Amino acid sequence: MSHYRSVFKDETRLDINYIPYALPHRESELRLLKEFFSFALQSPEKMTQRVIITGDVGTGKTALSQRFGTEIAHEATKKSVNLYYVHVNCREYRGSLFLILQHAVSVFHPNFPKRGYAAEELLGMLMQMLDEENAHIILTLDEFESLVENEGGEAVYKLTRLHETRPSKPQRLSLICILRDLKIIERLDASTRSSLQSNIINLQKYSKQQLVDILAARAVLAFKPSAVPEDTLEMIAENAFSENGNARFGIELLWRAGKYANADELDTVTAECVRKAVSSIVPAMRRSDLENLNLHEKLFLLGVARIFKQNKNASVTLAEAEQTYAVVCEEFNTSPVSHTQLWKYLRSLSAIGILKADVIATGTRGRSTNVSLPRIPASELEKELDNLLEDEKT
Amino acid sequence: MIAMDLEDIFSSRLRMKTLKLLDKMHELNVSGIAHRLGVNYGVATKHLKVLEEEGIIQHKMFGRIRLYRLNENSPKTKAVQNLIEVWEHANKQ
Repeated sequence: MSHYRSVFKDETRLDINYIPYALPHRESELRLLKEFFSFALQSPEKMTQRVIITGDVGTGKTALSQRFGTEIAHEATKKSVNLYYVHVNCREYRGSLFLILQHAVSVFHPNFPKRGYAAEELLGMLMQMLDEENAHIILTLDEFESLVENEGGEAVYKLTRLHETRPSKPQRLSLICILRDLKIIERLDASTRSSLQSNIINLQKYSKQQLVDILAARAVLAFKPSAVPEDTLEMIAENAFSENGNARFGIELLWRAGKYANADELDTVTAECVRKAVSSIVPAMRRSDLENLNLHEKLFLLGVARIFKQNKNASVTLAEAEQTYAVVCEEFNTSPVSHTQLWKYLRSLSAIGILKADVIATGTRGRSTNVSLPRIPASELEKELDNLLEDEKT
Repeated sequence: MIAMDLEDIFSSRLRMKTLKLLDKMHELNVSGIAHRLGVNYGVATKHLKVLEEEGIIQHKMFGRIRLYRLNENSPKTKAVQNLIEVWEHANKQ
């Protein structure tokens, strides 16, 4: 029996719930969040804070908040401040204020009964617990939309105006609301809106280079040295960028690509592993897309598929692809089309997402074109094209 | 209030079970205790009252919710916890 080889050093570092120590390209937002809550380490009883974190899927909202939570809780312990950071995903609790508060209460009393009282009573009980322990809580409501959609503005009103109902008592409950789109806030009444909207951290979509940095940092934690070549990272970043700059998608892709590398008993995560990973997540290739191609588009694509089946690189030059295409034409007893025509085919194949063409400057001699196969495994594409071309022969 | 004798406290199988339960679960409300012991609310309340009067357990109110736990400040409670621990450790061996 052969020894099990793995490209991974610790694949748990790619788990969706893992929060890395460093968050590349979110450093300033983390500092800002700490600034908003700096009072919580000095005089937490004197005020509370409400912060909104907004941004598209995979822009690091949850990771930012949880990293902040870990750090502020650690600082609070050092300063003997009784501060808790509680992170709740509202969707997991069906957007119910009652269930969300129950989660918060369970931090203090894990066996607190689950029935027999209303959300408002439970909020009162939570405050009593905080008063008795002289504790303060930063409650993060992740996927905040779910709470507003399910409960309407009333639940948010109760949370944001809580301290008005206990004027002489110390302040205890701060909020971080995480949401994708600020539009949902418009559903709240004016006073709730104004109390929420003063501190907004908007996370911008990651650029491709930022995604490369994020993936590289995770690869160092999760993979053995040199297991993930630079062009593999670039290819994954490219895919994540085309998925709206979604870093989470990129990290999942990195993990899956690693799994395919292990399954193929490879020492490195190759471009083909990435293609297999992409096609396992999204339906990358529809047979009808290929059926509608003309003969020379299919032959060109077959040449490209054969190159990437042999070649571990993520891209090749158009000149190389053209040479292989010429060989394929010979095999099918047909003359190759002109370079200009082939360039047009490359553009249309890029437009439908099968290939990707990057024009790059090459010093003083002008420009050249790199061709890559970003999503479809080369072996799968070759097999599909072989079948289609066989059908055309008959 | 006259303190009860040891044999009177521990002669009840349900009181012993309640103490073991609170030792394991840390704290519970009356319904939670009754449910786990398989008795009705009234029976659970009666035994909890005896144990609380002896100072072995105590309760805290949150709104309408009454949570019971072992009274960590009582030497009797420490003796009970020690007994449970030694007993269960010996049974495992």
